[in-house]
Amino acid sequence: MTTIQGSDIRKIVVACDAGMGSSVMLASQLRKQLGKHSVAVEHTPVEHIPADADVVVVHTGLAARARAVAPEKVIVPFQVFVGDPAVAKVVAAVKSGGAVDG
Amino acid sequence: MAEVATGPLAALLDRRAIRLGETAADREDAIRRSGAVLVETGAVDPAYVDTMLARERSVSTYVGEGVAIPHGTLAGKDAVRRDALAVLRFPAGVDWGGEQVVVCVAIAARGDGHVALLAQLAEILLDPERARALREATEADEVLRLLKPVDEETDS
Repeated sequence: MTTIQGSDIRKIVVACDAGMGSSVMLASQLRKQLGKHSVAVEHTPVEHIPADADVVVVHTGLAARARAVAPEKVIVPFQVFVGDPAVAKVVAAVKSGGAVDG
Repeated sequence: MAEVATGPLAALLDRRAIRLGETAADREDAIRRSGAVLVETGAVDPAYVDTMLARERSVSTYVGEGVAIPHGTLAGKDAVRRDALAVLRFPAGVDWGGEQVVVCVAIAARGDGHVALLAQLAEILLDPERARALREATEADEVLRLLKPVDEETDS
């Protein structure tokens, strides 16, 4: 388990298998929600999680692969591509502070 | 409505790739049909379709509001010829691991050409009225109008 404070988050990576579908959609939502904050949001295949990612948002079914690729990162698994509470928590932490565990 | 069929959206979502009266026996059939449309419109090689099925087996592409976005895996990217989408509507619905899917937005992408359109799709899924309009669309123009990225509206 790794923890990061919302105020320390500079880059959020949405990872999925190919980085062409659901991760793209979720990343666009995050970018919109975090528009006013200086947080970069990228989408990548799970095997290509960049080294400077602070938080990795990944579908539950791929969380184990994400942990294997980036064991030192905060991994936030989600179930629903649009409107997932785990993702909302990350957004809330960036906006209002608070810890993100993963 | 002719103006909606210009610009980046039209390049990405070929009118011929919008099929609104489809039927499918099950999820696999729906994905095969979605893949077949991408093949027909020259967006992907046939090998891509198997990677769409593989992807679906690992994680469902159901995204809510009766919509799924079937697409291939990282390995399938080599079979993509150009960034493109296809919209298939199954009015009778397709069982999708317990969810009911009416619309498949099938994706083929090598690059990021489709990002704005998926962002627009996410907006639709957050708006029950527009999501219903997408599920009930019977005209290609209606689908193009709904999926048109907002920042494209001033282009035409």
